[in-house]
Amino acid sequence: MTPRSRILLVDDEVAIQRAVGPLLRSRGYDVEIAGTGADALKMIANETPDLIVLDLGLPDLEGTEVCRRVRARSKVPIVVLSARGAEADKVDALDLGADDYVTKPFGPEELLARIRVALRRAASEDQTTSGHFRAGDLTIDYDRRRVLRHEAEIRLTPKEFELLSLLAHNHDRVLTHRSILKAIWGPNAVEQTEHLWTLVAQLRKKIEPDPANPQYLMSEPWVGYRFATGDSDNPT
Amino acid sequence: MARDPSDAARLGAGLGAVAIVTFVYVQWLHVSNAAIVSTTFLMVVLVLAATSRLWIAVVTSAVAMLCFNFFFLPPVGTWTIADPQNWMALFAFLAVSLVASNLSAVARVRTQEAVGRRDELARLFDLSRDVLVMTDSREAIAILARSIARRFDLEFAAIALPRSSDWDVFEAGPQRTDLDTRQLASAFAAAQTSLEFDAYARTYAGHRTVTIEGRAIRLVPLRVGTKPIGLLAAAGRPIEAGTLDALGGVVAIAIERAQFLEERKAGELTRQSEQLKTALLASVGHDLRTPLTAIRVAATNIQASSLTADDRLDQSNLILAEVERLTRLFQNILEMARLDAGGIAAESRWTHPSEIVAAARGQVEQTLRQHNVSVTVDPDVPVQLDPRLTAAALAHLLENAAEYAPSGSTIDVHGRITEEGLVIQVRDHGPGIASADLPHLFERFYRGDAARARASGTGMGLWIARGLLAAEQGRVWAENGPDGGAQFTIVVPAAAKEPAASPGI
Repeated sequence: MTPRSRILLVDDEVAIQRAVGPLLRSRGYDVEIAGTGADALKMIANETPDLIVLDLGLPDLEGTEVCRRVRARSKVPIVVLSARGAEADKVDALDLGADDYVTKPFGPEELLARIRVALRRAASEDQTTSGHFRAGDLTIDYDRRRVLRHEAEIRLTPKEFELLSLLAHNHDRVLTHRSILKAIWGPNAVEQTEHLWTLVAQLRKKIEPDPANPQYLMSEPWVGYRFATGDSDNPT
Repeated sequence: MARDPSDAARLGAGLGAVAIVTFVYVQWLHVSNAAIVSTTFLMVVLVLAATSRLWIAVVTSAVAMLCFNFFFLPPVGTWTIADPQNWMALFAFLAVSLVASNLSAVARVRTQEAVGRRDELARLFDLSRDVLVMTDSREAIAILARSIARRFDLEFAAIALPRSSDWDVFEAGPQRTDLDTRQLASAFAAAQTSLEFDAYARTYAGHRTVTIEGRAIRLVPLRVGTKPIGLLAAAGRPIEAGTLDALGGVVAIAIERAQFLEERKAGELTRQSEQLKTALLASVGHDLRTPLTAIRVAATNIQASSLTADDRLDQSNLILAEVERLTRLFQNILEMARLDAGGIAAESRWTHPSEIVAAARGQVEQTLRQHNVSVTVDPDVPVQLDPRLTAAALAHLLENAAEYAPSGSTIDVHGRITEEGLVIQVRDHGPGIASADLPHLFERFYRGDAARARASGTGMGLWIARGLLAAEQGRVWAENGPDGGAQFTIVVPAAAKEPAASPGI
C-alpha cells in the first residue's frame, strides 16, 4: 500500500471517530475526519481523498445529499455507513453513486474489506471497460460477447450477457435492483424486480458451479446484487 | 265494578247531583217544564262524562232518566207516562245523554293517551340524552339500566345481554329481582324468529310478561335494526307496548354505541402501543448501534499490537464511556417500562437537597464531563421527599442540558425551599428551546427539529423525568431563561425541617 491511501471519515458520532480513526490508521491509511456534511464537502473540495467513509445520519445534511454532491464532481469511492437499519437510505445512497455500504453495528474487518475492495476497484477502473475480464475459472470476453468457464463456452442469451457484463464491469460493488433494471430493461422497468430475479436465477444456473451456493453472483438482500471476484471477501 | 275509589266518588257525586237537581226543582222551584229538567240532567251527565269513565256517565243518565220520569213527567209520582209525547222526551233525553257521554268519554281517553304519550316521549327523550353523555366503559350499561329505572319510575329495570353461554344482566331500580335465564333465552329466541311488529295483530314480537316472585315483569327485545341483541326487563309502572318497543330501540342503540366506543378505545390503545413500539425501536436502534460499533472497533484496536500506550488507554476509555452510554440507555428503557406499568412508588425520607444534586450529578458524570456545573442550594436544610426519584429526574435534566448546551459552558443548578416544597432549577447557556417545541418537550420520544438533527438522544429522558416526579406528586416544566438558555424547574412537595421564612430566598 504505497503511497498511503487517504480516507475521509465523515461521522458526527465522536465515539465512531475515536474508534474507526485509529482502526484505519493502524492499517496504514491516512485518516481525516469530518463531523458534518458541510465540513466534509469543504475538505473534499480542497483535496479529493482516495476514499470516503460516509455516515448517512449527519446532523446538517442528509448523507444521500452529500453522496449526490460528491458524485457531481468526482468518482472517489464512497463507502456508506448506515445506522438507520432502513434499507431505503442505503439503496438511495447506492443509487446516487455510493460504491458500497456497511450497516452499523459493523465489525472492523467488514469495514476494512469494503474499503480494500473499493480502493482496488478505483485503481483498476479504466481497464475493465473492454477486453477480457477474469474471475476464478470464469472469463468474460466483452468484445466477442462470449463467456468461458475452463475454456468451455457458456451460451448466454443477450439479456443474460448484458446482466453479467454489467455486474462484472462493477465487480465487487453493490448494484441496486433499480440501477440494474434501469440499465437492462430501461427506466420504465425499475419496479419489475421479478424480471431481475428470474434472470439472475437463469444466469446462476449457467455460470455458477453450484447455483444454490453462488460464488460470483451474490445477493445483497433487499438491496441488489454484487459480482464477487473471489478474493475480495477473504481479506489477507 | 268500582275498582278505583275515585270512580265510586265520581258515581256518588253524579247521583248526588241528580238527587239535588230533583230535590231543588220539585221542592223549591217547582219546575215542571220537561225541557228545562232534561237539559239540566243532560248538563250533569255531560260534566260527569267529561271527567270520569263512561260507565259512570251511563249509570248516572239511567238514574236521571228514571228521576225525570218519576218526578217530572205526568202523571208525577208514578212510573207510567200518560202523554206519548213525553215518551219521546224521555227517550230523546236518554239517547242524547248516552251519545254525549260516549263522545266525551272517547275525547277524554284520547286526551289521557296524548298526555301519557307526551309523558313517555319526555322520558324517552331524557333517556336518549342520558345515552348521549354515556362514556365508553363497561359501567355504561349499568348506568343505562339505572337511567331507565329513574326516567320511567320503574321499580325494577334490567338489561340482559346474551354471552356465549350465559347472560350479562345489569339491574337497577329499588326492587331487584333475579331474572330466570331460561325465560330470558326463550324470550330472546322468540324475538329472533318472529316479526318485529305485526301490524295486523298489532303485537310486538318478543314482548312477553313473565312472573317472578309474584311480580309481573315485562321482557322487551333490544333491537338494532331488526336484529335483537338482548332483552330489557321492566316492572312496576305499566308502560304502553309501543313505548316499550321504542325504549328497547333506544337502549339497543345505546348499547351498540357503548360497545363501539369500547372497541374504538381498545383499538386506540393497540394503535398507541404499536406507535410506541415503533418509536422505541427507532429511537433505541440508533443509540444501540453506535456504541456497539464503537466498542467492537475499539476492542479490535486494543488487540492490535501497533498501538501506543496512550492510544490503548484512549481506546479503553472509549469502551468504558460507550458502555456507560449503553447502561444509561438500558436504565432509561427499564425506567420507562416501570413508569408504564405504574410500578414506581415514592418512599419519603429526610435528605439534604445538596445530596440530591450530588447524587444526580453522579448518575450522569460521563455526560457532564465537558461542562461546568455550578450548584447553589439555599437553605440546605433537610427536606422530606423521595430522594431517589428526585435525583433520577434531576439527572435526566442535567443530561438534557449537557446534550444541548455547548461543551465548556456552565450549567447552573439552583435549589431552594418554598411553600410548595423543594424547587430545583437547571439553567443552561445553550441555544434555548424553540417555541414550537415547548409544549411537546415532555412527550415521549418527542425530539425537536434541532434534536432530530443530532445523532444521540432518544426523546425518553424528559418524559421519564416527568413520570418519576409525578410518582411523588412533583412537577417539572421548561421555559427559556432570561439570557436565552433553557431553564427547567422541578417542584417536589416536601416538608422542610426549618420552615422557610419566605419563598425564593
